[in-house]
Amino acid sequence: MAAVVVILAVAVAVLTLLVLGLLRSHADILRRLHDLDGGLEEGATTRAAAATGGRSGARAAGPRTVSRDEVRTFPQVQAPPEREGFTDSRDLVGVGIDDDALTIRVTGVEHRTLVAFLSGSCLTCQRFWDAFQKPQKLGLPRDVRPVIVTKGPDQESPAAIARVAPAAVPVVMDTSAWEAYDIPGSPYFVLVDGKTGLVQGEGTGIDWDQVKGLLTQIQDDASYAEDLESRRVAKYKADDERERRVDEELLAAGIGPGDPSLYGDGPDDPRLAAHQHAHDHPHDHDEPDERTRA
Amino acid sequence: MRIEAHGIRAELPNGWEGRISRRQPGTLTGRRGGASASTAVLGEDTGPVLHMGNFALPEDRGDFGSGAVDLMGTGHLLVVLVEYGPDSAGTALFPTVSQVPRLTGRMFSSQGLQRVQRGQAGAQRFFTLNGRAFCLYTVVGDQREVGPMATTANDVTRQIQVTAP
Repeated sequence: MAAVVVILAVAVAVLTLLVLGLLRSHADILRRLHDLDGGLEEGATTRAAAATGGRSGARAAGPRTVSRDEVRTFPQVQAPPEREGFTDSRDLVGVGIDDDALTIRVTGVEHRTLVAFLSGSCLTCQRFWDAFQKPQKLGLPRDVRPVIVTKGPDQESPAAIARVAPAAVPVVMDTSAWEAYDIPGSPYFVLVDGKTGLVQGEGTGIDWDQVKGLLTQIQDDASYAEDLESRRVAKYKADDERERRVDEELLAAGIGPGDPSLYGDGPDDPRLAAHQHAHDHPHDHDEPDERTRA
Repeated sequence: MRIEAHGIRAELPNGWEGRISRRQPGTLTGRRGGASASTAVLGEDTGPVLHMGNFALPEDRGDFGSGAVDLMGTGHLLVVLVEYGPDSAGTALFPTVSQVPRLTGRMFSSQGLQRVQRGQAGAQRFFTLNGRAFCLYTVVGDQREVGPMATTANDVTRQIQVTAP
């Protein structure tokens, strides 16, 4: 009898271990599925709740904003930089691969410049080095000048760059440009408008077609903005004349742009009275012109 | 911006770009991207070449700016400094000077161009500076602007410094 009890106890213990193992495995599977589904970790949930004022620790249904540290890219593609906006552009100055020194103008010119930050050692860059061998087949707009920037000779092998460098595209070895443009890694592309010096767009991809798509999108956005501007309805002549007449009358009365009386609450506004005494011009306080309340 | 290589230093004004290069011995064009792109020239050993322009300089260009002058127009200026061999230094064609010679508008003409381009004008000065023989070759994109462009070229070449060999 005692032996049976012992055997049963052992059996129960073994079954208990099996059940615990199954439960643990099940929990592990659920956690992995949760991760694949883009779910928030417990800590992140707490942070998100804190950011939203702690309304609820539960995950809201529907789409959500993905923070930068949650972005995952392919191993061969650089993640976006931490900053939010574009950096300032600058001209490029460095050394070439033929024991030469050179400068390239990026700002203060009529054309745009596509600055390609490449490396001689990254595998993905090889596709772009190959693409730049025939710049006429890149499909770039006529006003875009491609320029390749690698890191300086202290960090990049000039011999390796010389083996892959295209003949018709300038190659500048300049580490400081990577810092100035805040480049996260290679390959990376920055499109600079030479007239304004502003960065029109930046990004990367796993091949030239993807980068070309980015450039096309930038071009489309610019064209769309120009189209909107061209379709802007002109102000009616009567409105324009009325505004001019009002401005002239106000200026003649000593009321210029930003005058406090323009933003007062009416004749009872103490600021209006104070301003009135500061001028010797006669204002009609009893019947304030509605134009001054604009 | 400053560029410096092969014993030549140049300060570029805003809006200018430039390059100091030296063709690899035994090659004609210095083209990159493959061995087949080079053409062997036995015995050739060229000196450094400085190119400066107030426009975007193309990659494929010759020592005296061929390839670049084709793109030049009104308002464009190209300054080229080509060094010759040491046997030329101090000879009659290359008089010794203390600084890069100045240019005047009257020195420019279409006959001064290496290859005549409609509407353009060029000027050449040969000299020896610090024991090194050079040719200063300047091209103006619009010959009607030779006066002010000569002044601009002088402002740029005044900043050029050459070290002794």
